Amino acid sequence: MNRLLIVFLTLLVSSVFAHTNLGEQASSIKASGKVFHESISIIRKIHPEFLRHKRDKTLRQGVRTDEYSLKGCVSCHVNKDKTNNQYYSVDKKGQFCSDCHEQVSVSLDCFSCHRTIPKEGSL
Amino acid sequence: MNKTLNRRDFIKTTSATTIGVATVASGITLTTFASTNKVPVTNEKRWGMLIDTNKLTEAGIDGMVSACQEEQGWGSELHSTGSQKPGWIKKLKVKDKATGKVSNLALMCQHCEEPPCVDVCPTNASMKREDGIVLVDKHLCIGCRYCMMACPYDARSFVHEALRNQKEHMPRGKGTVESCTMCVHKVDKGEVPACVASVNSDAVIFGDLYDASSKINQTLRTVQSAQIRADLNLNTGVRYSGI
Ligand code: SF4
Ligand code: SF4
Repeated sequence: MNRLLIVFLTLLVSSVFAHTNLGEQASSIKASGKVFHESISIIRKIHPEFLRHKRDKTLRQGVRTDEYSLKGCVSCHVNKDKTNNQYYSVDKKGQFCSDCHEQVSVSLDCFSCHRTIPKEGSL
Repeated sequence: MNKTLNRRDFIKTTSATTIGVATVASGITLTTFASTNKVPVTNEKRWGMLIDTNKLTEAGIDGMVSACQEEQGWGSELHSTGSQKPGWIKKLKVKDKATGKVSNLALMCQHCEEPPCVDVCPTNASMKREDGIVLVDKHLCIGCRYCMMACPYDARSFVHEALRNQKEHMPRGKGTVESCTMCVHKVDKGEVPACVASVNSDAVIFGDLYDASSKINQTLRTVQSAQIRADLNLNTGVRYSGI
């Protein structure tokens, strides 16, 4: 039974990530062979912790480094619509964030306040 | 952004006082402009503003309001009705009952040293940074609006509608409270707030109240200035001269 469960979970997790839409910049970093996230499994599992830690440091203490900044996630993992040269929101269906979050039914609350595309003028 | 004084009486209750100057003068002197981005801010600084109501024209105040809207992205809400509309900074007319003198005030969050909004917040969302800037941590804000009721300056707004396309540096969202951040994202980079930058004179001075070599500190030592509702003893970071 346990073995079956493991097989099932592995299938589930790998199927979640199987068609992940990495985003333009992230895809080209990956293609170039450079390593951005030291461990993919860690960033997959605990990115909410990283973001939470970072948000407290930034908002409450004024520490404004790039590491684990949500702006950074968005600008690297966003995709552009080639037809009109506009960005897709990262929380839009089929885009980087919602791809997994929808699959596993975990609601995504960052973007009720945060901007979903890189800052204006960066196109 | 015109607002009348119907809800709370804004008439200054103290005559021009030197208390603010005394408090400021006892602060710590800081000589360097350290790059604060990587280390937590400390209470060795206290950011503040001095608004000269004689020099600041009505048009100047309007310019400050639009600069704030442009910088922070508020004011173009489509579905919020009049009183629901956010107002981070307002133009306010105050009249001295005795002399009839009318002054125009640019009124925003006063960044109180003893902020009532922080006292009443049930979730610790309303908070004051070490350097005196008062903010809402929207991650924690439940939208109860206690802070709006507690603020004597009516400085806070509630976001009534879902928003998109916010500024990258200024997350804003339905169901949370917001107010002037003293452009903390700029201040942390060593820049001045957008409203201050929009005024092309020294009618509005921004700086570290504690730094004896700063323009704001030096001006506060030489001119008479006042805090609005100084009787509340909140020790505001925003000061006014000429009222
Ligand atoms: S002016 Fe109002 S919102 Fe600002 S710190 Fe004081 S009580 Fe809080
Ligand atoms: S509205 Fe938000 S910030 Fe204001 S008191 Fe309630 S939880 Fe705190």
